[in-house]
Amino acid sequence: MDWMLDYAWLVPALPLLSAALIAAFGKLMPGKGSELGVLSLAVAFLLSVGIAWETFTAPAPMEPVEHAFEWSPLGGGFVIELGMLVDGLTAMMFLLVTLVSLMVHIYSREYMQGEPRFTFFFAMLSLFTFSMLLLVIANNTLQAIIGWELVGLCSFLLIGFYWEKKPNQDAANKAFLVTKFGDVGLIVGVIVLSVPMFGASGSPFNILELNQAAADGAIGQGTIVLGMLMIFLACVSKSGQMPLHVWLPDAMAGPTPVSALIHAATMVTAGIFLLARLYPVMAQSLLVMSVVAVVGVITLFFAGLVALVQDDLKKVLAYSTVSQLGYMMAALGVGGYTAGIFHLFTHGFFKALLFLGAGSLIHAVHSNNMSDMGAMRKAMPHTFWTFIVGSIALAGFPLTAGFFSKDEVLVAGQYWPYATGGLVFWVGLAAAFVTAFYMARVCFLVFWGESRSHHPPHESGRQMVAPLVVLAILSIASGYIGSPVWDDDNNFGTWTATPVLAEADYPFVADDELGTGLQGGGEVLAGGAQGQAGSASVLAVEGEEGEGLGAGSILHGPPSWHLDVLLMALAVFLAAVALAWRIYGRGKPEEDPTLNMGPLTTVLVNKYGFDDFGYRYIVVPVRDHAARWASWSSNVVLDGIVAGAGKLTRDAAMTTYRVLDQKVIDGGVNGAAFSAAWWSERLKRVQSGDVQRYAAVLVAGVIVLVVVFAAAR
Amino acid sequence: MSLVGPLLLATFLFCVGIYGVIARRNAVLVLMSVELMLNAVNINLVAFQNLLFPAEAAVSGHLFALFIIAVAAAEVGVGLAIVLNLFRTRATVNVDDVDLMRW
Repeated sequence: MDWMLDYAWLVPALPLLSAALIAAFGKLMPGKGSELGVLSLAVAFLLSVGIAWETFTAPAPMEPVEHAFEWSPLGGGFVIELGMLVDGLTAMMFLLVTLVSLMVHIYSREYMQGEPRFTFFFAMLSLFTFSMLLLVIANNTLQAIIGWELVGLCSFLLIGFYWEKKPNQDAANKAFLVTKFGDVGLIVGVIVLSVPMFGASGSPFNILELNQAAADGAIGQGTIVLGMLMIFLACVSKSGQMPLHVWLPDAMAGPTPVSALIHAATMVTAGIFLLARLYPVMAQSLLVMSVVAVVGVITLFFAGLVALVQDDLKKVLAYSTVSQLGYMMAALGVGGYTAGIFHLFTHGFFKALLFLGAGSLIHAVHSNNMSDMGAMRKAMPHTFWTFIVGSIALAGFPLTAGFFSKDEVLVAGQYWPYATGGLVFWVGLAAAFVTAFYMARVCFLVFWGESRSHHPPHESGRQMVAPLVVLAILSIASGYIGSPVWDDDNNFGTWTATPVLAEADYPFVADDELGTGLQGGGEVLAGGAQGQAGSASVLAVEGEEGEGLGAGSILHGPPSWHLDVLLMALAVFLAAVALAWRIYGRGKPEEDPTLNMGPLTTVLVNKYGFDDFGYRYIVVPVRDHAARWASWSSNVVLDGIVAGAGKLTRDAAMTTYRVLDQKVIDGGVNGAAFSAAWWSERLKRVQSGDVQRYAAVLVAGVIVLVVVFAAAR
Repeated sequence: MSLVGPLLLATFLFCVGIYGVIARRNAVLVLMSVELMLNAVNINLVAFQNLLFPAEAAVSGHLFALFIIAVAAAEVGVGLAIVLNLFRTRATVNVDDVDLMRW
């Protein structure tokens, strides 16, 4: 099975191939190309399962498999690579991306039935998947940028899929421009981080070498802070962190399967993934970690609040995604590497499930608004049950996937010895209440009460329900590989651990400081005695149980039960659902109290004014002033330079023509002819026709020769 | 017998011939001067053969001399014919007046 790791490049290659084939031949096929997409994703998924199995069962931490084509642009000195890097993190992302993408492909076959540009849609889905997989498999930061930009391009094309309507165009432009703003940071960050690597390594953009150098302390603090903050800016825009989250809710303009793909697997997770990939670099700086944590905390809480007042079902889910991405960011910022990507993993499944379920609902009632739904549980039992499973997983109901991963995030905050740790824990817990509340609100408004639909709703067909069922199962099951019930030696943490991470530690953490944080957490949670018992081994470094309680080691040990956190999460969940049931239980959206909170509602409905602010202070000045200036500089300065260069070239050419061509070259040619004529006029007189003169010259010549040879003798 | 006598004779004849070829204006006299030069060479050939390579079987010098005599006869024949034609068409045998082959 080892060969599977070497053939991991097939996983991104297959969707690329299918994208090309669908674009070329899709319209000729009976399924209009959709079957090609499903087939390629199915094969890629099976490969990913093999790769995941191989990496999961490997003794941790697994040595990464790396292959690359090398190109040496200056013929030596350094190389630029195009390659693959397969380790547990890659395998985890492969599994998530290919599975969600496969489900979305199957689902879209029915959902997009009869749409114009059906074939284009599937080509783009496959290309989108390819882009994300290219980013995931990248072994160097340049290749990651390529994948990153392709992801942005595909999301632009798919968000604006219904481009006949102006708002959809605007949404696509907004998504593209906002993420592009962050991409500038990515490029700057990559360049900054590559600078110290140029001397130290033959391939300055290689991620493994960069991680190793950073973990060895070979890269200066200033470089790391500047580079990682720039890269973090890109992650903020791509992963929808405040204040650059504004594109994400608008991205709901795209078809619902695209929303599922964007939110679960291919787009917004890219930022989290990139930070996780560069985690050893990020872990070198407390400043970077704190910025990440604070941005994550702000996002996870305030985005959750906005979700309370949305009527559009997809927008609730969109703000919920923003909030959950905030959890992941916050986890990465407080040392919860495993927790962050574990939440990414489980969130991928239940958020895809929720979006696909929402798509099923929207398909049935032809409206995005919850005020047009109600009592859907009778008409759509499969959608109902799967949606409920997704909702409780998202809300963190105990023993669902979301519970395990979200609690990992909170526990990570508990162990972090700095102020951000407590912030993540308490705000995360408060946001868990908000999450449970708005998901309960959605479920009650949509599935209970009386039907407000203008169409008689109907259950969706098999191709839409089957992905829902698969994802619902995973929304429960995927949590267990990172939970205490699983094996200590092979779990999510050991799967995604890399050798660099296992050996690295936080340089800014003094000995026993993590222990203090741990005890602090324990005091706060005085009620949960078992939580502390389990947490004693949390700091154990992988493979060195018992003795590896090293200060500042990055990886937490095997997961353990935190009964205190479990009880709190359960209490929060029950309180939120009870409150929501009291308010929304009868399913009357017009009595929604979140819409009658005066100025608070206004603030939330206005989404804290980010969009207005952005429109007034960024879009308008850019459009009315910067654009005019840019137009002026383009028309006058740039065109002037171009025209001047053209005129200069033409003048130079005329001068060359007159001087070089007319004078020098023509003069030379004519001069040769004239000199030949001049000389011939004089030399022809030798040919006098006088035989006796010839004879005299001949005799004279002989005499000269005789004299010359005699003298030479 | 010494080589000096025949060689001096031949040199004298050759110089007389050259003088005649270059200086005389009459075409017939030019031809005669050419004959003098040829015969100066003949004297040389025969003298070298007899005095330097006196073996009875060695006759190549003599043979060359005979060749030259034969060729000279032919040459004079052709030359006199040209001169005759020249005189017929131009009524002169002065070589200075015959310069058609000039530039």
